[in-house]
Amino acid sequence: MKTLKNLFVVLTLLAVAPMTAQTADEILSNYFENTGGEAAWNALEGAKMIGSVNAQGMEIPVEMYQMKDGKQLLKINIQGQEMTQYSFDGDTMWTTNFMTMLPEKSDAETTENMKINNQDFPSPFLNYKEKGYTVEYLGKETKEGTETFKLKLTQKPVMVDGKEEPTVSFHYFETENYVPIVVETTMNMGPAKGQMSTSGYSDYQEVGGLYFPFSISQGGQPIVMKEIILNPEVDAAFFAFPEEK
Amino acid sequence: MKRILLPLLVTLIFSFPGNAQEEISLKGKELFGDMRARQIGPALMSGRINDLESHPTNPRILYAGTAGGGVWRSNDGGAIFAPIFDKHVQSIGVVTLDPTNPDQNIWVGTGETWTRNSVSIGDGLFRSTDGGSNFKEVPGFENSERITSIVINPENNQEIYVGVLGALWADSQDRGVYKTTDGGSSWSKVLYIGPSTGVSDVIMDPENPNILYASMWEFRRSGWGFNSGGSSSALYKSEDAGATWNKIHEGFPEGKLGRIAVAVAPSDASILYAVLETEEKSKNGLWKSTNAGASWEHLNNDFGLVVRPFYFSRIVIDPKNPEVVLKGGLNGSISRDGGKTFKDLGNMHSDIHDFAFHVKDSDVIFSGTDGGVYRSWNGGSTFEIVENLPLSQFYHISVDNKEPYNVYGGLQDNGSWYGPSSSPGGVNARDWNSVGYGDGFRVLKHPTKNIVYSEMQGAENVWRYDVDRNRTKTIQPLPKKGDPELRFNWNAPMAVSQHQPDRFYMASQFLHVSEDMGDNWKIISPDLTTNDKTKQDQSKSGGLSVDNSGAENHTTIFTIAESPLDENIIWVGTDDGNIQITTDAGKSWSNVTDNLTGIPANTWVYHIEASVHSKATAYAVFDGHTMGNMKPYAMKTTDYGKTWTSIISKDIQENAFVRNIQEDYVNEDLLFLGTEMGLYVTINGGKGWSHFTNNMPPVAVHFIDMQKQTNDIVMGTHGRGVIIIDDISPLRELNQEVLAKKVHFFKNKPFTMPEESGFAGSFGAETQFVGQNKSSAARIVYYLKKRHTFGKMTLEIQDMDGNKITSLGPGKSKGINIVNWGFNTSNPKMAAAKTLSFGGFTSPRVPQGQYKVVLKKGKQTYAHIIETKYDRKSLTTLDERKEQEALTQTMFSMVEDLAFLVYEIGQIQSKAKEVIDMGGKPAKQAQKTWDALEALRTDLVVTTGDNYVASAEPELRERMGELYSNIATNYDRVDGSLKSNFELISEEFTTEKTRFAKIMDKQVKKFYKTLNGNDISLPVIKAKEVFLAKD
Repeated sequence: MKTLKNLFVVLTLLAVAPMTAQTADEILSNYFENTGGEAAWNALEGAKMIGSVNAQGMEIPVEMYQMKDGKQLLKINIQGQEMTQYSFDGDTMWTTNFMTMLPEKSDAETTENMKINNQDFPSPFLNYKEKGYTVEYLGKETKEGTETFKLKLTQKPVMVDGKEEPTVSFHYFETENYVPIVVETTMNMGPAKGQMSTSGYSDYQEVGGLYFPFSISQGGQPIVMKEIILNPEVDAAFFAFPEEK
Repeated sequence: MKRILLPLLVTLIFSFPGNAQEEISLKGKELFGDMRARQIGPALMSGRINDLESHPTNPRILYAGTAGGGVWRSNDGGAIFAPIFDKHVQSIGVVTLDPTNPDQNIWVGTGETWTRNSVSIGDGLFRSTDGGSNFKEVPGFENSERITSIVINPENNQEIYVGVLGALWADSQDRGVYKTTDGGSSWSKVLYIGPSTGVSDVIMDPENPNILYASMWEFRRSGWGFNSGGSSSALYKSEDAGATWNKIHEGFPEGKLGRIAVAVAPSDASILYAVLETEEKSKNGLWKSTNAGASWEHLNNDFGLVVRPFYFSRIVIDPKNPEVVLKGGLNGSISRDGGKTFKDLGNMHSDIHDFAFHVKDSDVIFSGTDGGVYRSWNGGSTFEIVENLPLSQFYHISVDNKEPYNVYGGLQDNGSWYGPSSSPGGVNARDWNSVGYGDGFRVLKHPTKNIVYSEMQGAENVWRYDVDRNRTKTIQPLPKKGDPELRFNWNAPMAVSQHQPDRFYMASQFLHVSEDMGDNWKIISPDLTTNDKTKQDQSKSGGLSVDNSGAENHTTIFTIAESPLDENIIWVGTDDGNIQITTDAGKSWSNVTDNLTGIPANTWVYHIEASVHSKATAYAVFDGHTMGNMKPYAMKTTDYGKTWTSIISKDIQENAFVRNIQEDYVNEDLLFLGTEMGLYVTINGGKGWSHFTNNMPPVAVHFIDMQKQTNDIVMGTHGRGVIIIDDISPLRELNQEVLAKKVHFFKNKPFTMPEESGFAGSFGAETQFVGQNKSSAARIVYYLKKRHTFGKMTLEIQDMDGNKITSLGPGKSKGINIVNWGFNTSNPKMAAAKTLSFGGFTSPRVPQGQYKVVLKKGKQTYAHIIETKYDRKSLTTLDERKEQEALTQTMFSMVEDLAFLVYEIGQIQSKAKEVIDMGGKPAKQAQKTWDALEALRTDLVVTTGDNYVASAEPELRERMGELYSNIATNYDRVDGSLKSNFELISEEFTTEKTRFAKIMDKQVKKFYKTLNGNDISLPVIKAKEVFLAKD
């Protein structure tokens, strides 16, 4: 009798479900719940991600550091040479010039823009309202052959070539499991301004109770994670611009 | 967990009634996965622009609404454009930015409005509220067909007026001026004249949003004629926000009027200009009012002001100066004296439809033409073309069998061309070759000779072009004594025989055949059309302004299909609805039109495809749009036309009328349908169709061909150039058994490893369109039943013994996944140094042979065997290739040996450094060791400088790396020079290894002794295999 009652409840739910529009917050709350819980995500201070990308047979090691306070760094290793692709210590953003292999500060606009939207780790959706972001559910769409919920994320506007530009991205959560599988970011600078840059997320795996995508692709070859270390001990100086080099 | 449980239950419950036998039916993106089209343009002649819209305050932003290629936006003042409307119908009438929020709110009215014979249709009104990232259809305009105007009150963006021109080939109640006061939720029609009179323009007074002007136009097209003008055409004004409208004709001549262009000066609301088409020739042209339309004065009837009103009714006034007036036309005209006199604008593509002034500098003028967008920086004297708008409008395309194959085709108002399907650096403007003037239509390659047939409108000229000798001959069939007047379609059919290479067909109302490439012609049929005389007088076509361009010639043959299986079987379809077949090479004909059940009488037979699967089988598609019938029609016969079955399913959009069908040469159930709303594909003979939308907008597909060697589907679109889907052979394999599998690898032919290595200067690519090339890599194609999201998934190439060669990024989409492998293995580990050795980036190619593709998904492993082959155009013999491969391996090992040597040196040096830092007696020995090793190291690798001009002189590593890369990437045999260099490097390396051995024996031995004596650990040196291991 109990089973029958449960089945009845499920059937009712199913009958109702398609008619009940999903809200953005429901999708996000399912996402966080399915990937470890909002509390656990909130407790995360940072992550070190060790992976690699394969370029025409060349396996390039990649190390990424992302901290809750916005500090981040991406390092690659070519022929034994470590190169910081970019780093941001909360104040200064810098890159490495490939010709001289020496660090160079990013231009003021780029650095300012980094400061404006620097609370994206571990997810821009986590406490998005407090961050001043807005999220809108735009309906279902088929991405990578599968059904997804489409969410529009609007972050704070940035300055590009002296003009204010919106920061908008579209996140596609697979309806079956509520995790994002595709993110389209509206490019707001350069010749491709206004067009979308698309990233694919897959190979979600559990690390310390949280689910992370272990494969992130942007067009060509994906970055494949080998290891993700939660709350790594990193000295703040690690992200800083090396003044004397 | 709860969330995971629910889908599980859903699956359980829904799988009961259907059982396991339930047919898997994948549609669209679910089926095609990441099988994507590529667009190769061309953009060098671009295509027709319908409307230009500038941003009210930001001069960096400009929009182009195109006739058949969607909406494009420039963010850089018109240097380059990008498409923003690719999910929707591509025929655009008008683009309007909300003046209160122009960055976010974009309105698009679809359906081009310069109503030539070949126009596409629109599909409603759309709005974006997020700067064009997403558009939503605004309900209420589903049947509008063509929207000319969208006007938004700058003081209240909830108040919007929309002008609907409406149906071109039929009556329509949907025409008129519509108004919303709630931002588009509800609409009311505020001006409607009748079912044949639409809105040509609605404009708003720049100072008072309650004042509106609307020009109404009575017009109609049929397959055989055009009428512009009537007693309903008129110019109206409303002073109460559209509630009431009054004609403002004071000064205009009596009688019928045609299309009326109207514009109000942005800087002076009392000044209006109008261009009229009237019954009195002397009163045609430009009229001006200086009292807001209360009365009018006739100013000018020069050619530029009266030419083809249906095509060129657009006036644009300088936003700062009411005396400067631009008028669309054959060349475009400009007046700087308030319309009294005009001069032609500077040279650009002819047929100018719209203009936009720079919002801050009137010297800068943008112009929209039949050949794209042009920019002038000097007030209209000189114009330059925007080079990245691939809007070419093909009527027809064909392909040849070259490698890479060429695509041939003719364009609306832009001649005939051929160009390669792939080219070094991508398909550039300079890759395209002109092979015909005027409007171009069918272009066919001779099957064996380097000869191209092309034509211009109405077969006025048919050219036989000898490409090698650069000689042209006109060969159109001409009437001989006793022949009636020949009626050729505007887009006259041609065909080359697949059985006799020199045989060439053309058709008027008769079928003409030539056995000698067009030198001599024979008529082999009676008049195969209805020969309805009422559809044959085009001399009066045009209405108030005669427009007998030949574009409306009717009762003509439109398609010829010779059976690929039997040269005696020829099918013919006519623009007035007949299908006729001969099975004896034209001796006798049967008219099978009456057997076409479900096709309205006289519906245009747009294409017949004679099947390769059976002589009796053919497909025919019908296009009723010139009778106002937009429904899709495609029929199949398997008995020479005695009976026909419709192969259209409900999946096809109801207004997606069909122009072409292409069958697969292998799988009879695989068909491709070219419609007004894009490409549809069926894998089950038409029971169900899928819209193909991967990198393919729903653009009008006028012709499809299939390249037999590559299995590529090549489409001639009318607005987005040539679009190709590479190798569709995986679609042949799709059946229920395959679709039910978790993973399925599709069969593939052995992959040729191309040995091409030319140059591709990319000058101009910053602002020029460059078409995407076909990948020359191995194309690994598999089907996934489900999108891979959780858990690990890898894809690697292994040799047949299971050793990893390289890893690839797997596709994870549900449906078809395509992964390219460039035949590469892995690159060698390079010795560490101060700078990079670019030679070390080279990964050698695999030898010819069999390889395993191994896909690991969770705990499951799926394998598939592929084969690689050397290029048959290789410059080397097999022995030479093997020698090159062997030497590549030798060098690869040498490079890694050096890497290990340098690693060993480094490990010992760092221990030495450690000891030096400790100080004391052992430090002295450590210093000696460090010095000896450093002297060696600086000869082995670069230790100073940078990667650019401050680079150090190359050391052994750099020279060795260069040699390795040279040998590995050279497709020629290993020549003497490389061999001599190899000897030199080998010897040098041997010498350095001996040097190292000596240091080891001398200084290092002593150093180790010291370490042991002082209880200091020896340096840790990994085993060579461990050091070199790649993970």
